Amino acid sequence: MHPILGSVRRLAIYLLAWMLIGLLLSVGLGFSRGGDWLTAVLFFVPLGVVYALITQSAWYVCRIFPLVRSRAWQVAVAQVFAAIFASALWVAAAGAWARVLAAAGVDAAGGTLYDTQRPLLFVVGALLFWLVSVFFYLLIAFDASKDAERANVELTLLAREAELKALRAQIDPHFIFNSLHSISALTATNPEAARRMCLLLADFLRETLRLGGNQQIPLEEELALADRYLAIEQVRLGERLNIVRETDSGAVTCLVPPLLLQPLVENAVKHGIAQLVEGGTIRMTATCAGSTLTITLENPCDPDRQRPRGVGLGLEVLRRRLTNQYGAADSVYAQERDGQFRVEVRIPVAAGASA
Amino acid sequence: MMSSEDRPLLRVIVVDDEALARALLRELLGAYQDIEIIAECGNGFEAVKAVTEKKPDLLLLDIQMPKLDGFDVLELIGGEVPVIFVTAYDQYAIKAFQVHAVDYLLKPFGAERLAEALGRARTRIGTREVVPAKALVSEARAARAPLERILIRDRTDVHVIPAAKIDYLESQDDYVSVKVGEKQFLKEQTLSELEQLLDPARFVRIHRRYLLNVARLARIEQAVTDSRVAILQDGTELPISRSGYTKLREIL
Repeated sequence: MHPILGSVRRLAIYLLAWMLIGLLLSVGLGFSRGGDWLTAVLFFVPLGVVYALITQSAWYVCRIFPLVRSRAWQVAVAQVFAAIFASALWVAAAGAWARVLAAAGVDAAGGTLYDTQRPLLFVVGALLFWLVSVFFYLLIAFDASKDAERANVELTLLAREAELKALRAQIDPHFIFNSLHSISALTATNPEAARRMCLLLADFLRETLRLGGNQQIPLEEELALADRYLAIEQVRLGERLNIVRETDSGAVTCLVPPLLLQPLVENAVKHGIAQLVEGGTIRMTATCAGSTLTITLENPCDPDRQRPRGVGLGLEVLRRRLTNQYGAADSVYAQERDGQFRVEVRIPVAAGASA
Repeated sequence: MMSSEDRPLLRVIVVDDEALARALLRELLGAYQDIEIIAECGNGFEAVKAVTEKKPDLLLLDIQMPKLDGFDVLELIGGEVPVIFVTAYDQYAIKAFQVHAVDYLLKPFGAERLAEALGRARTRIGTREVVPAKALVSEARAARAPLERILIRDRTDVHVIPAAKIDYLESQDDYVSVKVGEKQFLKEQTLSELEQLLDPARFVRIHRRYLLNVARLARIEQAVTDSRVAILQDGTELPISRSGYTKLREIL
């Protein structure tokens, strides 16, 4: 696509610029050399417009001999020949225009302006052609850097999307192994409970896969998923795991990114309750005030626990997800104090989503 | 189940923080007339206590447990008892092998796999293979140095001492005395071993007999020519050797 002929607006600006060049030529080559100003303007301004169109051919020369991939002498030869050709064409056009003006009686002297300025006109024509060439080369370089930037952004987006997909697909395999082990233990002693556990696990897995496919889901669905997860972990951990939940009726209808809560709940169990001999209580709240949904999760933890590598990664991924989606960089606050871990997530409520 | 008349009774302790996992082992082990479960423990502290008091023939030991994990328990009981590790995590298999575990059961497992592990345990017990406790300890530990905490077994009790709370460690023959404020604990390990395991940026061997937590150092005083003394924040004075002074200056 030609950068200038392809757009009416750009063509108009470009032609206007060339009319100005025509005016400058009128002053430089006509008026200042003793010609009268009307003749000079009538002669040079239309010539400027004509050359504006002729120099568009420079675009193709620049495309065929790009600076980055051609040798210097190729560029030089091509530009010299193109400039000579274009300028010659222009000088010929100037000759024809001079005769037309003479015939119309505008130039009383009968083309004197043209006759006296012809060699200079040729040189100026070649220089102007090269100026346009430089302009196109700059344009190409600019476009290339813009393309590279766009490709870069696209790449980042793709990478993030892949990361998200992986995240959604990520169900801790040890959670499944441990659950199966619990089911295996229950089959002999309590078949009824074993079946309940099977169904809970199946529901949890199916919901995780289903929710992961959505862009946004109501908070209550996310809470229902957390309930299933915690019900399974309660079978495993028994009395050590207690849950307290307080949610606004307004908050549960808010739309949130899927699997927002899940990694937080998993962390609370895995790195919190399961690391305590006596266990403890996970407190969850969700409140909606104004246009902000605030979700908090609190759990006791062992301050002297051995911290495996990769802890905080889940929080970091969540932070990046929310930054991506909402643009606010400070949506996740986490702190640990006196054996209590607390994480707070704030997200803007989508318009019309809250009750 | 099997002809067990001629086999000696195997006295087993089951350690898992999950009641259901313990119940499953109880059920599966119930099929063996020559196996007796002498204790069930829900955490590492109970496990160390039970092992000390009851001297079992075999330990079925979960790895992921609060406060003291399976490897901690093994470190504390040394090589006294053969161990079969039980876990849902496969990434500890190599480490389990390094600490001479009899076997490594991955949850969920069935009766056949357990029978195999028990067979190995009987073989191990039959050969009376002795695993030197100290080798066990350092091998188990080497993988996760620097130590963030020191575990001390005081007969049936276990003390977990975070490295940051230690003032200094003093060598006492085959033992190390760990000073924590007013208290001191004895650990059966050499000072050199602990020096290698603790974070070298925080613990400096200022003297043949002393390993100092540099955070406790208040100032250094010149005693007599060529002899210096470390004054700790609580006023304790510890001698500094010449090489100890060089090391201390590198850190500070």
